[in-house]
Amino acid sequence: MVHQYISNGYHIVLDVNSGCVHVVDETAYRVIPFVEEALAQGLDGAQEIAAYAAKKAAEGGGSVDPASLQETVEEILELKEAGMLYTEDIYEKYIGEFKNRQTVVKALCLHIAHDCNLACKYCFAEEGEYHGRRALMSYEVGKKALDFLVHNSGNRVNLEVDFFGGEPLMNWQVVKDLVAYGRSLEEPYHKKFRFTLTTNGVLLDDEVLAFANREMANIVLSVDGRKKIHDLMRPRRGGQGSYDEVVPKYKKVAESRNQMNYYVRGTFTRNNLDFAEDVKHLADEGFEQISVEPVVAEDSEDYALRWEDVPAILEEYDKLALEYIRRKKEGKGFNFFHFMIDLEGGPCVAKRLSGCGSGTEYLAVTPWGDFYPCHQFVGQEEFLMGNVDEGIVRTDIRDAFKTCNVYAKEKCKDCFAKFYCSGGCAANAYHFSGNINGSYDLGCELQRKRVECAIMIKAALADEEKEKAL
Amino acid sequence: MKHIKTLSTRDLKESMKKGGCGECQTSCQSACKTSCTVGNQSCEKAR
Repeated sequence: MVHQYISNGYHIVLDVNSGCVHVVDETAYRVIPFVEEALAQGLDGAQEIAAYAAKKAAEGGGSVDPASLQETVEEILELKEAGMLYTEDIYEKYIGEFKNRQTVVKALCLHIAHDCNLACKYCFAEEGEYHGRRALMSYEVGKKALDFLVHNSGNRVNLEVDFFGGEPLMNWQVVKDLVAYGRSLEEPYHKKFRFTLTTNGVLLDDEVLAFANREMANIVLSVDGRKKIHDLMRPRRGGQGSYDEVVPKYKKVAESRNQMNYYVRGTFTRNNLDFAEDVKHLADEGFEQISVEPVVAEDSEDYALRWEDVPAILEEYDKLALEYIRRKKEGKGFNFFHFMIDLEGGPCVAKRLSGCGSGTEYLAVTPWGDFYPCHQFVGQEEFLMGNVDEGIVRTDIRDAFKTCNVYAKEKCKDCFAKFYCSGGCAANAYHFSGNINGSYDLGCELQRKRVECAIMIKAALADEEKEKAL
Repeated sequence: MKHIKTLSTRDLKESMKKGGCGECQTSCQSACKTSCTVGNQSCEKAR
């Protein structure tokens, strides 16, 4: 499977099954599909294939220089021989084996507080309550959750625990106590905890920051971008905005962590389809690790993204990609989470098939100790899997998530982005199609664009490196 | 090559043979929480 597109003047060819990315000239871009057709018809040899490609190009109303064409076809065939183009999908036949794999739990999202001091309009947790009651996780419940993780993680060394909410700083003492408890388990069980914290910043102070800098591998700081955008969607319960209160604190976090291992993370909605301006704003404020993501909301919400907004959003991603490259080249770069793609050291195929691991490797734990496949399913009783006392009771739910992968999803089969999003978010698929093996089509459209931009950025920055080396 | 430049990438087919240790980060624990973004995760062994 081959995906070709033109972005920022680059002619890019992605060989989906090998993961190879080729930046080609116009002739190659034009004839790559013709060569594939010729090979499928059993034609052999560069000359014969070049003749076929010339004929097809002429039929399409264009012509190509014969000498250049022959040379291009030779290069294309060389890549094919090296397993870098027109590569077959060898993974699907292993999928049965993959479905039967033994899974272990390696990550928990601890809902340390089902309560919040903000009233963000787009909150999927309904201001922290998750379709339920306000509650704080007790130390005892948290302790049992960490014990469950240690005892169900097999020989995995790295274990991840995210303190999530609602707002986890509303239950800060329990967070600190659980970190201490987790550390006490590391040596006896030969485990390494990576704690992370997701906060709205309201209760962030020097004491929290000092502790987080010592213990938290990552901090996610919620902010939507420009003050007017942020304050519109992230008010306090009384209606006042929260931007002025949190942004100065976030700057302190970023600096004290040497601009690493944190994210300022925002959500864009129909209210700010010009979200590139929000990303630029955050970069101008000195943040170097930025994530701004599309809202996922019911169609009935006035801020929900609509299909008619998609062209503008795609264009905005293009604009953002150009700005991203420009700033990197000027030495004032920042990281944008959704444009980061690790082509060289990225995940193995097993990871790309297993996706986010929700319901198998990754579970969410409510304040009273119930397990759900992930934070997005919390409060939906049909996904209640078990609890910290009994463990996983509904193994059928776990098994359904275990078999959820790109080959189980009809719409993923022919999608070039399938090994980058791994089939997307199961919760979004469920909420929009009624099935975890369904899809969230609007989200897929945006995901494909982000993958295209991310690869183009790699091509542009590789060019820059080359120029510097000359 | 004159007409084609290939960016350096991990060979996915090769990773089929050696991958799957599971020590890598869970994608939703990094920043997203609303989308599945796996392609930008790093392999723990390749670090």
